[in-house]
Amino acid sequence: MAQSATERVRKVSYLRKWLTRPELAAVAGAILVFVFFAVVAGNRGFLASKGVISYLEVAAQLGIIAVPVALLMIAGEFDLSVGSMVAAAGMIVAISVVEYGWPLWGAVLLAFGAASLVGLFNGYVVVRTGLPSFIVTLGMLFALRGLAIGFARLTTGRTQVGGLGEATGDGLLTTLFAGTIGGIPVSILWWLVLAVLATWILLRTSFGNWIFGSGGDATAARNVGVPVNRVKILLFMATALSASLLAVIQVLDAGSADVLRGELLELQAIAAAVIGGTLLTGGYGSAIGACFGALIFGMVQQGIFFTGVNTDWFQVFVGAMLLLAVLFNNFIRKRASEAR
Amino acid sequence: MKTTGLLLLLAVALLALASCAGEEKAGGGASSGLANREDIRIVVVTHGSASDPFWSVVKNGVDQAASDMGVEVEYRAPDTFDVVEIQRNLDAAIASEPDGIALSVVDPDALEGSIREATDSGIPLVVLNTGREVWRELGALTYVGQTEYEAGVAAGERMAESGVTNALCINQEQGNVALDQRCEGFEEGLGGSVEQVAVEGTDPTEAQNGIETALSQNSDANGMLTLGPQGAEPGLAALEASGRSGEITFGTFDLGSSILNAVRNGEMLFAIDQQQFLQGYLPVTILTDYVQYRVRPIGEVRTGPEFVTQGEAGEVIELSDQGLR
Amino acid sequence: MTDTTPLIEARSISKYFGSVVALEDVSMQVRAGEVICLLGDNGAGKSTLIKIFSGVHRPDNGSLLIDGEETGFDSPRDAIDRGIATVHQDLAMIPLMGISRNFFLGREPIKGRGPFKRFDVACADRITHEELDKIGIDIRDTSQPVATLSGGERQSVAIARAVYFGAKVLILDEPTSALGVKEAGIVLRYVARAKGQGLGVIFISHNVYHAYPVGDRFTILDRGRSSGTFDKGEISQEEIEKMMAGGEELDQLSVELEEDEESEEGPKR
Repeated sequence: MAQSATERVRKVSYLRKWLTRPELAAVAGAILVFVFFAVVAGNRGFLASKGVISYLEVAAQLGIIAVPVALLMIAGEFDLSVGSMVAAAGMIVAISVVEYGWPLWGAVLLAFGAASLVGLFNGYVVVRTGLPSFIVTLGMLFALRGLAIGFARLTTGRTQVGGLGEATGDGLLTTLFAGTIGGIPVSILWWLVLAVLATWILLRTSFGNWIFGSGGDATAARNVGVPVNRVKILLFMATALSASLLAVIQVLDAGSADVLRGELLELQAIAAAVIGGTLLTGGYGSAIGACFGALIFGMVQQGIFFTGVNTDWFQVFVGAMLLLAVLFNNFIRKRASEAR
Repeated sequence: MKTTGLLLLLAVALLALASCAGEEKAGGGASSGLANREDIRIVVVTHGSASDPFWSVVKNGVDQAASDMGVEVEYRAPDTFDVVEIQRNLDAAIASEPDGIALSVVDPDALEGSIREATDSGIPLVVLNTGREVWRELGALTYVGQTEYEAGVAAGERMAESGVTNALCINQEQGNVALDQRCEGFEEGLGGSVEQVAVEGTDPTEAQNGIETALSQNSDANGMLTLGPQGAEPGLAALEASGRSGEITFGTFDLGSSILNAVRNGEMLFAIDQQQFLQGYLPVTILTDYVQYRVRPIGEVRTGPEFVTQGEAGEVIELSDQGLR
Repeated sequence: MTDTTPLIEARSISKYFGSVVALEDVSMQVRAGEVICLLGDNGAGKSTLIKIFSGVHRPDNGSLLIDGEETGFDSPRDAIDRGIATVHQDLAMIPLMGISRNFFLGREPIKGRGPFKRFDVACADRITHEELDKIGIDIRDTSQPVATLSGGERQSVAIARAVYFGAKVLILDEPTSALGVKEAGIVLRYVARAKGQGLGVIFISHNVYHAYPVGDRFTILDRGRSSGTFDKGEISQEEIEKMMAGGEELDQLSVELEEDEESEEGPKR
């Protein structure tokens, strides 16, 4: 063959390939945060097994939401209603069981069913109207939260509904969602399973390819026959379902539901996804990266306890650590792509 | 490079903050018993953030005790009430292996698991403010706080002494069991008839309207009890608007600046102080004494009800401004 | 020698958008192994005609024939399924995605069955590598993002994709308009190769310098109407250009401009 017209393209080395993976910076950030707390608070419980479990649990609860949110963002859309969905789904479970005497499995199914409908609605409105998903789901954020508050007050007169402990006892469902296996809280296992599933879907199925395509350029994807609308609607349903999963876990763990659960969760999930390498503009990202983003959140939120920092400075600390992680993340990514 | 510099700066700042944050203890300690005071670390886990005026007094009590006893104390509370966060705080506290934990048990079902872990690990517990019914079965050393029902009874008796026979009990937060108990105790202590009125504490205008309506519907009421500032302040406004300030003997639970002023001016007969400063101060001292000397109070330690009447109001106002009452 | 039945034919097609006449009585044929250039100035109606060919619009009057049969398309997907592939100027490839992922987007090779069906990435990479080789692009790692390719390479990959997936008619919408000289050359060379493989190619352009070398026949549109279809032998590059720009009108305009100049110079003396 004559001189290739593409002489500027050169062979990409294996190492370089790893340096340019979207997750790299998130992993580096997580290591950085871990080292920080290990140094400052290692002997105060951060490295003890109870300490590890405490931050893994927080990471898991965020991660369960962050993974599908990352997938949706890769497809080019946002879901700001996940936090409110957690509150609403939790209320559905608690009110059905405590006020109306439903069996727990029925209440859980009802919550999942309601979440599917919410996700379906979100997706349908977004694809049909072409409105930015940011706005549509922002509206749902308020609507769902309001529905949770209104309905809770209407049926029980309170905004926190407790008493699930007596109503449900220690059955199979409670263990499935809120128990521990081998000393590890089940929520962590749910998180890991979800992460593996999402990664497999994203990287090893045609649906995953469609997710990248829909986010990269929806029109181009449609032109080659990708069912972009269907992909987005399914992903909106996935985020809503993950919210109801978290709600069930929290309700069964705490024995109560609260209309204020999940506040700010949607922003945290987006932050975790972005730290993990997902672009705000879509078309690029990683579920594993979002997991490491959630891990960073968990380590920061719980790690602070072990440093003994005065509570009043908490929020400052969380914000500063996150900024640090993101800056570091950015730094690594720039270095990696320049090196190409 | 600019980014590297920024990163380094942030990292250094955080390290500095973290290292100097641990220094909450002052000097001083008696003979040491089983442990030295400088080595003692206590974690306080409550459901009230320090930004809430009520809990800010509790925290001041905690800080004062830490300083007086020369021990290290950390205070943990969520910004908004959420059992899940309280649970996480408690788990983290237990994982950090403190010498003692003081906590408010706002949801026994949810926190039971974590509390058992603490007691299994041999960490002594003191329950404060909420959890009076469960402290014994949870294995805590003692309970420090007000007992709502008895406080209600005392309030009823006080009002009865001033000649009240027919009163309104204004509940500004439906579903709060503690408030329910206050009204129930009040009815028992008064011995007369009590009409419970529900209003929306978070909306002052609505609350005021609700109380005014109740006043006009109960023309033979000669007493009124509110259960907190969110009921007391609209209550004062409602009384004035209805023009019945002279006939109604007005008392309330909890303190606040307008409440204390009303007491001083004679618009209110009394305000009930649960002395939450002690709810912060005493658990720290109790835990320290237990860790060092294995001594502890037997039974619960009651911090309320303490009645603030016109005589004491002036002093209490001063202390309240300092965040101590 | 070409088959006499056109792969696709537009017969007296008209299309209106409200009161705007996008196309009026336009006829055009595409045969296998032939490149027909669709030329015309901006707004001449080229896009509209192409959208009819690719199933986006339906003609208001006239008929569309595929392989000699009068028919219509239900949707763009329908057109794709029947072998009409369109490669757009700026919507060819998705820059953030890998080359092989782009190549097989929407038509991913599947391995396994049931719930274990997965996207056969290795197969996709291999085939992409082979196809790119065939058009002279040598890339070791086909999972690198399309953004690493030049504009001409991207167009070529898009065309290779259409050819691989069995296009019979290839519609290229302004493929060289955003490219430099060398890049344009890459694309034109590949177009010639595709023609040699028996495809029918519709090459849309407003740049006659790119279109002339590779075209066999030329259809010129002017404000919705066809100015005619000409074989390469019948017409020269300059004549095509003139017709595209509106021929007689330009002559008229030059005359007017000259007159204006003279009248201005007069009084100023």
